[in-house]
Amino acid sequence: MARIAGIDLPRRKRIEIALTYIYGIGLTSAKKILSIAGVNPDIKVNDLTDEDTDKLRKVIEADYKTEGTLKLLVKEDIKRLKEINCYRGIRHKKGLPVRGQRTRTNARSRKGPSKGSVALKKKADK
Amino acid sequence: MTRSLKKGPFIDERLEKRISQLNKSGEKKVVKTYSRATMISPDFVGHTIAVHNGKKFIPVYITENMVGHRLGEFSLTRIFRMHAGDRKEGKAKS
Repeated sequence: MARIAGIDLPRRKRIEIALTYIYGIGLTSAKKILSIAGVNPDIKVNDLTDEDTDKLRKVIEADYKTEGTLKLLVKEDIKRLKEINCYRGIRHKKGLPVRGQRTRTNARSRKGPSKGSVALKKKADK
Repeated sequence: MTRSLKKGPFIDERLEKRISQLNKSGEKKVVKTYSRATMISPDFVGHTIAVHNGKKFIPVYITENMVGHRLGEFSLTRIFRMHAGDRKEGKAKS
Protein backbone atom coordinates (compact mmCIF):
# COMPACT_ATOMS: atom_id res chain seq x y z
CA MET A 1 0.00 0.00 0.00
CA ALA A 2 1.36 3.40 -0.94
CA ARG A 3 1.23 5.66 2.04
CA ILE A 4 2.89 9.05 1.72
CA ALA A 5 2.74 11.94 4.18
CA GLY A 6 0.12 10.16 6.23
CA ILE A 7 -2.29 9.76 3.34
CA ASP A 8 -3.30 6.57 1.50
CA LEU A 9 -3.02 7.20 -2.19
CA PRO A 10 -5.99 6.08 -4.29
CA ARG A 11 -4.85 2.82 -5.89
CA ARG A 12 -6.40 2.94 -9.28
CA LYS A 13 -5.17 6.39 -10.27
CA ARG A 14 -2.03 7.38 -12.08
CA ILE A 15 0.61 8.37 -9.57
CA GLU A 16 0.75 11.87 -11.05
CA ILE A 17 -2.88 12.41 -10.10
CA ALA A 18 -2.74 10.37 -6.92
CA LEU A 19 -0.10 12.66 -5.42
CA THR A 20 -2.49 15.59 -5.67
CA TYR A 21 -4.64 13.89 -3.03
CA ILE A 22 -2.04 15.06 -0.53
CA TYR A 23 -2.80 18.50 0.94
CA GLY A 24 -0.14 20.89 -0.32
CA ILE A 25 0.59 19.10 -3.58
CA GLY A 26 -1.10 20.09 -6.81
CA LEU A 27 -0.56 18.86 -10.30
CA THR A 28 2.46 21.06 -10.95
CA SER A 29 4.34 20.03 -7.84
CA ALA A 30 3.27 16.40 -8.38
CA LYS A 31 4.93 16.45 -11.80
CA LYS A 32 8.04 18.07 -10.37
CA ILE A 33 8.29 15.49 -7.61
CA LEU A 34 8.00 12.65 -10.11
CA SER A 35 10.72 14.05 -12.36
CA ILE A 36 13.06 14.60 -9.40
CA ALA A 37 12.43 11.08 -8.14
CA GLY A 38 12.71 9.70 -11.64
CA VAL A 39 9.39 7.89 -11.54
CA ASN A 40 7.18 7.47 -14.59
CA PRO A 41 4.08 9.64 -14.02
CA ASP A 42 1.81 7.24 -15.93
CA ILE A 43 2.18 4.27 -13.58
CA LYS A 44 -0.87 3.40 -11.56
CA VAL A 45 -0.41 3.50 -7.80
CA ASN A 46 -1.12 -0.25 -7.66
CA ASP A 47 1.86 -0.98 -9.87
CA LEU A 48 4.35 1.19 -7.99
CA THR A 49 7.33 -0.66 -6.63
CA ASP A 50 8.29 -0.16 -3.01
CA GLU A 51 11.50 1.50 -4.14
CA ASP A 52 9.60 4.09 -6.11
CA THR A 53 7.32 4.89 -3.19
CA ASP A 54 10.34 5.30 -0.98
CA LYS A 55 11.94 7.69 -3.46
CA LEU A 56 8.76 9.75 -3.67
CA ARG A 57 8.43 9.81 0.08
CA LYS A 58 11.97 11.08 0.44
CA VAL A 59 11.52 13.86 -2.11
CA ILE A 60 8.29 15.00 -0.51
CA GLU A 61 9.64 14.92 3.00
CA ALA A 62 12.75 16.85 1.99
CA ASP A 63 11.26 19.64 -0.10
CA TYR A 64 7.55 19.94 0.52
CA LYS A 65 5.37 21.04 3.37
CA THR A 66 2.27 18.92 3.43
CA GLU A 67 -0.83 18.09 5.46
CA GLY A 68 -0.59 18.94 9.16
CA THR A 69 2.53 21.10 8.97
CA LEU A 70 1.20 23.16 6.12
CA LYS A 71 -2.21 23.59 7.71
CA LEU A 72 -0.52 24.77 10.89
CA LEU A 73 1.56 27.29 8.96
CA VAL A 74 -1.48 28.72 7.24
CA LYS A 75 -3.27 29.03 10.57
CA GLU A 76 -0.29 30.83 12.07
CA ASP A 77 -0.20 33.28 9.19
CA ILE A 78 -3.86 34.09 9.66
CA LYS A 79 -3.37 34.43 13.40
CA ARG A 80 -0.56 36.90 12.81
CA LEU A 81 -2.78 38.99 10.55
CA LYS A 82 -5.47 39.03 13.21
CA GLU A 83 -3.08 40.03 15.95
CA ILE A 84 -1.58 43.03 14.21
CA ASN A 85 -5.07 44.27 13.40
CA CYS A 86 -4.46 45.06 9.76
CA TYR A 87 -7.19 45.20 7.16
CA ARG A 88 -6.77 41.57 6.12
CA GLY A 89 -6.78 40.46 9.75
CA ILE A 90 -10.00 42.32 10.43
CA ARG A 91 -11.65 40.72 7.42
CA HIS A 92 -10.61 37.31 8.73
CA LYS A 93 -12.04 38.12 12.15
CA LYS A 94 -15.34 39.22 10.69
CA GLY A 95 -15.56 36.27 8.32
CA LEU A 96 -15.79 38.47 5.26
CA PRO A 97 -13.85 38.15 1.99
CA VAL A 98 -10.24 39.22 2.44
CA ARG A 99 -9.16 40.09 -1.07
CA GLY A 100 -11.45 42.93 -1.97
CA GLN A 101 -14.35 40.98 -3.44
CA ARG A 102 -17.83 42.47 -3.41
CA THR A 103 -20.02 41.78 -0.43
CA ARG A 104 -23.24 43.42 -1.53
CA THR A 105 -24.18 40.13 -3.10
CA ASN A 106 -22.45 36.77 -3.21
CA ALA A 107 -19.46 36.23 -0.89
CA ARG A 108 -21.42 33.25 0.45
CA SER A 109 -18.38 31.01 0.92
CA ARG A 110 -17.09 33.39 3.56
CA LYS A 111 -20.36 34.58 5.06
CA GLY A 112 -21.97 31.15 5.23
CA PRO A 113 -25.41 30.18 3.95
CA SER A 114 -27.73 33.08 3.20
CA LYS A 115 -29.88 34.35 6.06
CA GLY A 116 -32.09 36.69 4.06
CA SER A 117 -34.91 34.55 2.80
CA VAL A 118 -35.26 32.65 6.09
CA ALA A 119 -36.00 35.82 8.00
CA LEU A 120 -38.63 36.74 5.46
CA LYS A 121 -40.31 33.36 5.85
CA LYS A 122 -40.54 33.77 9.62
CA LYS A 123 -42.29 37.11 9.24
CA ALA A 124 -44.73 35.57 6.79
CA ASP A 125 -45.63 32.84 9.30
CA LYS A 126 -46.60 35.36 11.95
CA MET B 1 1.86 42.07 -10.02
CA THR B 2 4.50 42.68 -7.38
CA ARG B 3 6.72 45.70 -7.24
CA SER B 4 10.10 45.51 -8.94
CA LEU B 5 12.79 44.50 -6.46
CA LYS B 6 15.16 46.90 -8.16
CA LYS B 7 13.25 49.84 -6.73
CA GLY B 8 13.11 48.54 -3.19
CA PRO B 9 10.13 49.14 -0.92
CA PHE B 10 8.23 52.41 -1.22
CA ILE B 11 8.76 54.65 1.78
CA ASP B 12 7.68 58.27 1.85
CA GLU B 13 10.90 60.29 1.98
CA ARG B 14 9.64 62.92 4.38
CA LEU B 15 8.31 60.33 6.77
CA GLU B 16 11.54 58.38 6.60
CA LYS B 17 13.47 61.54 7.48
CA ARG B 18 11.21 62.33 10.42
CA ILE B 19 11.57 58.83 11.78
CA SER B 20 15.33 58.74 11.42
CA GLN B 21 15.50 62.09 13.22
CA LEU B 22 13.41 60.66 16.03
CA ASN B 23 15.61 57.58 16.12
CA LYS B 24 18.75 59.70 16.41
CA SER B 25 17.40 61.87 19.20
CA GLY B 26 15.79 58.86 20.86
CA GLU B 27 12.45 60.66 21.09
CA LYS B 28 9.05 59.01 20.78
CA LYS B 29 6.63 61.40 19.19
CA VAL B 30 3.48 60.77 17.21
CA VAL B 31 4.18 61.46 13.57
CA LYS B 32 1.25 62.44 11.40
CA THR B 33 1.26 61.25 7.83
CA TYR B 34 -1.00 60.99 4.82
CA SER B 35 1.24 58.43 3.19
CA ARG B 36 -0.82 55.27 3.54
CA ALA B 37 1.13 53.50 0.83
CA THR B 38 4.38 53.61 2.76
CA MET B 39 5.78 50.20 3.53
CA ILE B 40 6.60 49.75 7.20
CA SER B 41 10.35 49.37 7.52
CA PRO B 42 12.16 47.89 10.53
CA ASP B 43 13.19 51.44 11.58
CA PHE B 44 9.58 52.29 12.37
CA VAL B 45 9.19 49.66 15.09
CA GLY B 46 8.30 51.14 18.44
CA HIS B 47 7.02 54.42 17.04
CA THR B 48 3.47 55.57 16.91
CA ILE B 49 2.43 56.91 13.54
CA ALA B 50 -0.83 58.72 12.98
CA VAL B 51 -2.10 57.54 9.62
CA HIS B 52 -4.78 59.52 7.84
CA ASN B 53 -7.88 57.55 6.94
CA GLY B 54 -9.44 60.24 4.77
CA LYS B 55 -11.06 61.98 7.71
CA LYS B 56 -8.74 61.92 10.66
CA PHE B 57 -5.38 60.60 11.79
CA ILE B 58 -5.51 57.19 13.42
CA PRO B 59 -2.59 56.46 15.74
CA VAL B 60 -0.92 53.17 14.92
CA TYR B 61 1.68 51.67 17.24
CA ILE B 62 4.16 49.81 15.08
CA THR B 63 5.23 46.36 16.26
CA GLU B 64 7.74 43.99 14.75
CA ASN B 65 5.05 41.82 13.16
CA MET B 66 3.85 44.72 11.06
CA VAL B 67 7.07 45.13 9.11
CA GLY B 68 6.42 44.67 5.41
CA HIS B 69 2.81 45.79 5.59
CA ARG B 70 1.67 49.22 4.49
CA LEU B 71 0.57 51.95 6.86
CA GLY B 72 -2.88 52.17 5.30
CA GLU B 73 -3.67 48.60 6.26
CA PHE B 74 -3.93 49.70 9.88
CA SER B 75 -6.06 52.77 9.41
CA LEU B 76 -9.47 51.72 8.17
CA THR B 77 -11.29 53.99 5.77
CA ARG B 78 -14.78 52.64 6.29
CA ILE B 79 -16.92 52.30 9.36
CA PHE B 80 -19.72 49.80 9.52
CA ARG B 81 -22.67 50.87 11.62
CA MET B 82 -25.32 48.23 12.15
CA HIS B 83 -28.07 47.63 9.64
CA ALA B 84 -31.30 49.41 10.53
CA GLY B 85 -33.19 46.22 11.40
CA ASP B 86 -30.45 44.54 13.40
CA ARG B 87 -31.09 46.29 16.69
CA LYS B 88 -34.74 45.26 16.83
CA GLU B 89 -33.88 41.65 16.08
CA GLY B 90 -31.37 41.62 18.92
CA LYS B 91 -34.03 42.84 21.35
CA ALA B 92 -36.60 40.30 20.22
CA LYS B 93 -34.18 37.46 20.86
CA SER B 94 -33.21 38.57 24.36
